[in-house]
Amino acid sequence: MIKLASIFVICCIFFISCTDRNENNSDQTKKKSDTTIVHAPSANPYAAIDLSPMDMSYFPVNYSQKKMTHDITTPPVMRVIYSRPHRQGRTIFGNLLKYGERWRLGANEASEIEFFQNVTIQDKKVNAGRYIIYCTPFRDKWTIILNNDLYTWGLKIDSTKDLMQFDIPVKKTSVDFEYFTMVFQPITNGAELVMAWDDTEGRLPINF
Amino acid sequence: MKQITLLILLIISVLMGKSQSNNLPPVDKSPMDMCYYPNNYPVLKIQYKATEPAVARVIYSRPQKNGRLIFGDLVEYGKVWRLGANEATEIEFFRSVKIGDKKVEKGRYTLYAIPAEDTWTIILNKDNDTWGAFKYDEQKDVLRTSVPVQKLTEGVEALAMTFEKSDSGCNLIIAWDNIKASLPINLK
Repeated sequence: MIKLASIFVICCIFFISCTDRNENNSDQTKKKSDTTIVHAPSANPYAAIDLSPMDMSYFPVNYSQKKMTHDITTPPVMRVIYSRPHRQGRTIFGNLLKYGERWRLGANEASEIEFFQNVTIQDKKVNAGRYIIYCTPFRDKWTIILNNDLYTWGLKIDSTKDLMQFDIPVKKTSVDFEYFTMVFQPITNGAELVMAWDDTEGRLPINF
Repeated sequence: MKQITLLILLIISVLMGKSQSNNLPPVDKSPMDMCYYPNNYPVLKIQYKATEPAVARVIYSRPQKNGRLIFGDLVEYGKVWRLGANEATEIEFFRSVKIGDKKVEKGRYTLYAIPAEDTWTIILNKDNDTWGAFKYDEQKDVLRTSVPVQKLTEGVEALAMTFEKSDSGCNLIIAWDNIKASLPINLK
């Protein structure tokens, strides 16, 4: 039995080291090596599973779990609901997403941000409430837009209902993001909405 | 033998851990989804086909059957079930509605169920933004209503929710594995 286990462990170690080496090699030759092509899941007679799954992020981070464990008793400050497209080997910025053109910051239903209290973004007051959030990406900055056209589909956001916009710098990330990711991270006097995909991220500081 | 199992588990976790190379959240195993009444409201809206405003929407996560027996086993009869996974399932009404004989004000609610073999008790609770049913507090119930369930001939792999039009408004359909429950929502 022990012998069998040893053989198994050796095989596993071999396998891990092989995958490591492969990744290192492909990192040098081909950058998008971790991409996996995901196909639409099997049919569902009531509601098909989306290829770009929906997700939700709260601030405080992991608010729901903290509430469950009674580690938090104050109300949440904000949450974002968005769908997560994946890269599937494509170059995203400047290619799939054209510079200067609107990007829905997600997939499927338009991405939604809700502030449960008044907040301040770049010295402008944003009232508590629910907004559609989208972006116009450029090479060196993103324009983030809050819009009033709720409960819509991301491909056709009515820009006549834009409320405010904020320019933020963009930077290259140290790791690549297969799935588009939005999450809040705490900063002094508030939190940043981190928006990351492929090798690029933007951060929108929100003060409260 | 126990040590070998532990070792194998350790190796599997090392292998799986490799796919998350940063500190940002990975994609959930039970993906979140959203449904509106009228069904597909956002798509209808951009096609200018929405004939009435949005009435309700549900945000829930979709666990998969994965070969398991669901009702009476994984989801035990007589116990509060979170009707989803991860964040608690949320139903929002954009106008006031009636469920059973009770008026439900416009707003967000957390949705739970207590399944039994022939009927489910559906619960609307006002403790929002929580996780699962682990800290379910009956004191915060807004209503409980009993709905019949139906056996399905074709299995449903991922928990599914959708609305269907009814004479008095709409029904929220909840289907998983071989069971379908239907919650009548009166809009009159």
